[in-house]
Amino acid sequence: MAAKVVTIDRDKYIKAGGPFGIKAFISGFRVTTSHFLVNLIGWIRGKPTVATVMFPEEHLAKPPAFRGMPVLVEMDNGKERCVACGLCEWACPVNCIHIEPGETTDEVERYPKVFDIDMSRCMYCGLCEEACPEEAIVMSDQVEISAFTRAGTLWTKSDLLTPVSQLARRLEHIRRDYDRR
Amino acid sequence: MSEDKPATEEAKVRLTIDGLEIEAQPGQMLLQAALDNDVEIPHYCYHPKLSIDGSCRMCQVKVEGGRKLAISCNEPVREGMVVDTKCDEVKHARQGVMELLLVNHPLDCPICDQAGECFLQDYSHGYGRDHARTTSPRRKGVKREPIGEHVVFDQERCILCRRCVRFTQEITETDELRVFGIGDHSHIGTMPDNPLNNDYSVNVADICPVGALLSSDFHHKRRVWFLEDTPSVCPSCSKGCNINVGVFKNEIQRMVPRRNDAVNDTWMCDHGRLRYAFTTDETRIRQAQVRDAEGALVATPFRMALDAASEQLRPRLETPEAFGVIASAHLTNEESFLLAALCNTKIPAAHVVLPVIRGEADGFLIQEEKAANATGARAMGIEERGGGLAELAQAITAGTVRTLLVLGGDALDIAGGEELLASLETLESLIVIAPNETPFREHATVLLPGATFAEKDGSFTSFDGRVQWISRALNVPEGVETEGETLNRISALLDKSKPELFDAITTLGRIAEAVPEYAHINRAELGAEGLLSGVQEAPEPEPEPVDITASGEA
Repeated sequence: MAAKVVTIDRDKYIKAGGPFGIKAFISGFRVTTSHFLVNLIGWIRGKPTVATVMFPEEHLAKPPAFRGMPVLVEMDNGKERCVACGLCEWACPVNCIHIEPGETTDEVERYPKVFDIDMSRCMYCGLCEEACPEEAIVMSDQVEISAFTRAGTLWTKSDLLTPVSQLARRLEHIRRDYDRR
Repeated sequence: MSEDKPATEEAKVRLTIDGLEIEAQPGQMLLQAALDNDVEIPHYCYHPKLSIDGSCRMCQVKVEGGRKLAISCNEPVREGMVVDTKCDEVKHARQGVMELLLVNHPLDCPICDQAGECFLQDYSHGYGRDHARTTSPRRKGVKREPIGEHVVFDQERCILCRRCVRFTQEITETDELRVFGIGDHSHIGTMPDNPLNNDYSVNVADICPVGALLSSDFHHKRRVWFLEDTPSVCPSCSKGCNINVGVFKNEIQRMVPRRNDAVNDTWMCDHGRLRYAFTTDETRIRQAQVRDAEGALVATPFRMALDAASEQLRPRLETPEAFGVIASAHLTNEESFLLAALCNTKIPAAHVVLPVIRGEADGFLIQEEKAANATGARAMGIEERGGGLAELAQAITAGTVRTLLVLGGDALDIAGGEELLASLETLESLIVIAPNETPFREHATVLLPGATFAEKDGSFTSFDGRVQWISRALNVPEGVETEGETLNRISALLDKSKPELFDAITTLGRIAEAVPEYAHINRAELGAEGLLSGVQEAPEPEPEPVDITASGEA
């Protein structure tokens, strides 16, 4: 298809904003001002309805499609679902996962003796989650990985284990997303 | 196979597979002919070094004029044969075979060590259905049962191809593994009084096309897709079995045999296979050390330790009769060549000993000499002179030998080793070059770390004179140099010349010029299979190796 040239009357758009672009100025301020007034009235009444949350003490609920840092699913019996198959380690484009497999006497004979994720390398791509055949590693809504030392950004298995109840929404989401039924 | 070629060159059979015209040896089976010509026909039970079983039915193909599909593993090639491996009939048959094989398969690939090199995975992907039609529960069986010292068995994964059974019948002739039960109840097992404990037991894990038989050494150790395979040669005896060294993060994870019909077919012994921990364990010497004025060994930079070693050797340039050398049968041909130049030409030592640990030979793969390159060392000119270890110990005690250069620690494990160790006290200087700790350390003046077989390039000469190339699989640890580099630099320091960087390929070229038996050998010619040199193992001729591969076909 041949490209079509569209001529735009730039002046028309500039003039539409009124002198000095005052219209855009007002519409922008309207949002801020309305929040300010709501806050102010709430404060006067003694029932504040604050529009912003007090991060980091408070968090907004994130949608299930949100990809935070990857964590390990901890089953109800306190053990990990992971069987150390190594597919996430292979899928990881930045090589931030390190797994040492071990053997147990449980029904599933294999478990990760060591499961480390270097969070300073992780780029939240979610390929580990997609590769996992056991739904054992999922992207959580956690994003806070700051640490005082580099060693602090290495998350070991005990740091990563998260109870399955906290990850229910995400698990449901990935089942739908990856068409796993 | 390679030996057959000249004899049958005049009468080749021509046939067509999928429109591709190929040539085959008369009497060859269709499957092997196809595989030789890079035509893929899926198969489980067929193994080129075992007899034909024809039990898996996976290799079925359509032969024109045939009444029904033929199993290509047991179908001799005929002149003018027209074969179709891709028609719908064949595809349907394969899909059916795959479906039946997977009816009771546990599909525990995430915890199975075979995953990644599993025929069932590959063929399921290539020829199977994308989903299971069965809903009934899968058959339960014995899992991770140790059926031998080195082998773990998982009955649920087994597809009853009987490769392992044929292996114990035909190759080791020990008959440990059998099929018990009939029909749907058949399973592989051992008799209670006869576990799978022969010297070649882990080979069944290699030939098992699925994850039913696994090496307990490699069990749950590392996923195979992380391993980097480097072609090499087993260092544990003088047979020179071809191997692939599987490395992950600069550590050997396993060693598996590599096919070489002239040496080891596709087998290797458990002893050689499981002996690799010495390359990375705590016995490795990782730092050059020099004894100081107070008599303690002090860690020293490698360069300075080399200077110290050459200063210890320098007086012997004038008095070579006071110099003794204990060579090593673990060095490559190239390193032995440099050592021979040092101890024959530069300082013609009065005593040269080549200690070789000897053990049992079994007439198949395991050889008597428990070192890879004794033959090569002798061929390079390391001739024993001045008697054995006992005479060397006497000479040291008498004070005639004052400087001793030792490579490796094998000398202390053979006859005369104890006398030698006792005599070392009286030495003026002892220079030790070894990859692993040895009792020589107590008396060493200079201790130089060496490299193991996995850390160097070079060639080994096996007991029958076959020269084979080994490639570097591991990085040399920091602060360590290969023996070749060390010897090269010591020689240069003694000459007060600038050392060239040691290069195995160039040195092999020099060997070809200097040693007539090696005149035809160079790196490119060696290839993956190696070449026979003119040398044979001199002392104690080996008994004729018994060919116990059952089927003549290959």
